[in-house]
Amino acid sequence: MAGGSAISGLVGARVHRKEDRKILTGTGRYVDDVQERGMLHAHFLRSTVPHARIVSIDVSKALEVEGVVRIFTGADMSAIADDLNFAQPIPGLHSPSYPAIARDVVRFVGEPVAMIVAESRYIAEDAAELIEVEYDELPPVMSTKAAMAEGAPQLFGDVVPGNIVHTDEQLFGDIEAAFAQADHIVTDTLDQHRWACNPMETRGGVATYDRGSGQLTYEASTQTTHTLRFLLAGWVRHPIHQFRVIANNIGGGFGLKFSAYREDVAVCAAAKAIGGTVKWVEDRNEHLIAAGAAREEQLTLEAAVKADGQLLGLRVTMDLDAGAYPINPPATVYTGLVRTTLPGPYRLPAYQFRHNIVATNKASYISLRGPWAVETLVRERLMDKIARTCGISPVEVRRRNLITLADQPTKMITNVTLENVTAAETFEKLVSMIDFDEVRREQEEARARGKLLGFGLGTFIEPAPGTKDFWAAVGFPFGAEPARIRIEIDGKVTVFTPQTPHGQSHETTLSQLVADELGVGFDDVRVVYGDTDATPFSMLGTGGSRAATMASGAVVYGSRELKKRVLDIASHLLEANVDDLQIVDGVISVKGAPGAQVPLAQIAMGCWLAPEQMPPGTNTELEYVASYDGEGGGFSQASHACWVEIDQETGDVEVKRFLVVEDCGKMINPAIVDGQVIGGVAMGIGGMLLEHSAYSEDGQYLSATFMDYLMPTAPEIPDIEIEHLEYESDKVIGSRGVGEGGTVLAPAALLNAIDDALAQAGGGRVTTTPVTPTRVLELLGVIEPD
Amino acid sequence: MNTREITVTVNGRRHTRTVEVRRTLADFLREDLGLTGTHLGCEHGVCGACTVIIDGVTARSCLQLAVQADGAEITTVEGVTLPDGELHPVQEALRDSHAFQCGFCTPGFVMAIYGMCEEKKAGKPVPCSRAELREELSGNICRCSGYQQIIDGAEAALAAAKEA
Ligand code: FES
Ligand code: FES
Repeated sequence: MAGGSAISGLVGARVHRKEDRKILTGTGRYVDDVQERGMLHAHFLRSTVPHARIVSIDVSKALEVEGVVRIFTGADMSAIADDLNFAQPIPGLHSPSYPAIARDVVRFVGEPVAMIVAESRYIAEDAAELIEVEYDELPPVMSTKAAMAEGAPQLFGDVVPGNIVHTDEQLFGDIEAAFAQADHIVTDTLDQHRWACNPMETRGGVATYDRGSGQLTYEASTQTTHTLRFLLAGWVRHPIHQFRVIANNIGGGFGLKFSAYREDVAVCAAAKAIGGTVKWVEDRNEHLIAAGAAREEQLTLEAAVKADGQLLGLRVTMDLDAGAYPINPPATVYTGLVRTTLPGPYRLPAYQFRHNIVATNKASYISLRGPWAVETLVRERLMDKIARTCGISPVEVRRRNLITLADQPTKMITNVTLENVTAAETFEKLVSMIDFDEVRREQEEARARGKLLGFGLGTFIEPAPGTKDFWAAVGFPFGAEPARIRIEIDGKVTVFTPQTPHGQSHETTLSQLVADELGVGFDDVRVVYGDTDATPFSMLGTGGSRAATMASGAVVYGSRELKKRVLDIASHLLEANVDDLQIVDGVISVKGAPGAQVPLAQIAMGCWLAPEQMPPGTNTELEYVASYDGEGGGFSQASHACWVEIDQETGDVEVKRFLVVEDCGKMINPAIVDGQVIGGVAMGIGGMLLEHSAYSEDGQYLSATFMDYLMPTAPEIPDIEIEHLEYESDKVIGSRGVGEGGTVLAPAALLNAIDDALAQAGGGRVTTTPVTPTRVLELLGVIEPD
Repeated sequence: MNTREITVTVNGRRHTRTVEVRRTLADFLREDLGLTGTHLGCEHGVCGACTVIIDGVTARSCLQLAVQADGAEITTVEGVTLPDGELHPVQEALRDSHAFQCGFCTPGFVMAIYGMCEEKKAGKPVPCSRAELREELSGNICRCSGYQQIIDGAEAALAAAKEA
């Protein structure tokens, strides 16, 4: 199909968001806003110990509390719901199934041991305090190293031998030869800490069982209604055609809300058992303890390089701390993503990647905005280290290795096609915007003030949505994306998407596209999402930064098909050639002959009410399900530069300036792109400097409030400067995802800047995160490492 | 159950209700009055999502009990919206700047910025620079936006708010 989408003005403009009226006036419907008649409230009693056998659980006193309706222990729950099982036919994957409420053993602080259903949340929490649980404590395993050690306590016995959920090694190219030819071998390590998605709306759901119809409805805070539906229907043993999942406003997800959780199972099963409505919304404390966290990974790298900085080969090992229980997707998807993406936009002739996914006594390892991000972090830090080793600049080392547009199409060593990838071009643009002499002057000036000014940069590619061979290499399906479009009886348009937007503004962007394609007003398009009774199936919902390409493609192709049908009818009515017709503001007219016109509404009414009276041989179906295959997919790319100032007395790191050059192809709404980039960068900064889902050595959780888990607030984040490239490929849909990249690349540029600052004072290099003031002072030698 | 009768004026409407003394003001507004625009992001006073205006002062409704608000006049996000359903200039400014994404934090920011604009109208000093605005809004957490476009909107709203 010919390139270029039909643009009549909305696409590419900073259109006001449709979502804003609702959210600014407080009229949204988030899960906690749902109030049903006779609604009951669920609260979970959670384990206070990291690893133990449950000896006994006594709920008798709690049951006496007035207003308590029912209490479910693990045994009670197991009678009405199956264990959660995320196993998939992946060779060597040990994926234990587990009950919604712990039955025999608890494996992390925060694991549900009972669910109290009561008339109010206050009563349920009162009752929880009266439940007596006797634990026979087992030694906890609190790191990947401890878990893999000889004689380590086994979390799941033979089900996960040696606590290793999965282990693998993959070889690409001749790695031995690469190291044999090397002038330098550059090594590096990174021990990344756990940090969390922490959407401002926690997890939650409201389950309603309708005894009359037998229908179970779950209104949830989820990123993926259809997957939640089929997983839950199975586990709560409910026929799927009688199970509906709804999502209205969702207060952020960042990957967390992609999985189904044991609490979802328990709440749905309870609603069915009780025969009514049960609401569960976790509080922040529960969320921080039990919802899971991300990014806890240890990597070692060994690079074979030529004297001039040219990369010859790379050996990587990765240990991923999976926590106790698997969620969706299987952790092999994360290691697959890291392995496949790690070479990035650089030429790499040989590569070896080994990983261990390891079970520990912590909450689950979950997806967090760019779950593969550590690949960019370690690669971009390694590039800087190679530059130092070879005595060239960080800019030069990248230039010597980057794949430019002129080199494409080509393949990554991990068998992924690179085409239209402009990482090198974003990098050159970034470099052209920086006055390096000025940076050096500022650094001297800062040192004169007793401060250290660090400068760092980095570049990357983002599989948003990725290519078919990319997902094949990862081991995850790259599905097509559907959309159903209906021209209503009055000529207005309803779009049904399987996307489950939770901040990504799809109501706006998809309306822009459809309005432009069909020649109708922006306000005449409504986007319906988040209802498995209404929207076409997709496994993914909103995740993986797919929508900009995939959902856009589905609605564009769908609109074009309906437009074709309408114009065909109009050509008969107006006795004109289809090619001479246009739709403007909902009116079909002959180009250059404004008198000859027919309103879209008139055709729509005819098609719906009296199709037999429409011109013979025309297609009068004005509802169409389109499916878009992504045209082979592709990548987003960006380069970041970061300036930090370090206070040598306090160890404080201040991000002074942050510059982004990004290329997500054709922007549908630049204001929304900016928002995604800025929000992503802020999350990356917060994750590296402030946030920490910390455990004590004996397995207690240490960051259970926002006083301990520090979220970035406005003063910690600088204004982010953004430059867009908008490289135009020959694809019909030239837009690429941009939701995750900020969080993926920002940590790399930031840590490179911190290292640059520390080096000026003879300090050490960051190898462990988060980079707290204490860590900085340790690296500067001001205080002793503890 | 320990209960008390309270009378509270919310967004210009008087409500007399019997509440449990331990009931938070946020739960009272959200569940008893159905004003679910006020959100709960932490319930321990850090995130600011629950910000409302009590007798002219911005406050966190998760940290107060409903009984403490007896006799008070409260404005919530629902009360900021103009009577004809049109956006208040503060809301307009935040829409124009594309300030928000998921919207969960939004009512808290709207109230905090609305509060600043009201102060300015009353002739009180308000933050001028972006850095000051960032400090002033540091009690509100937004996970999505990275704050920049919120600060843009707050700047515009404050510039438009004129001393009466
Ligand atoms: S909910 Fe009140 S401050 Fe967070
Ligand atoms: S817009 Fe999502 S938390 Fe602020």
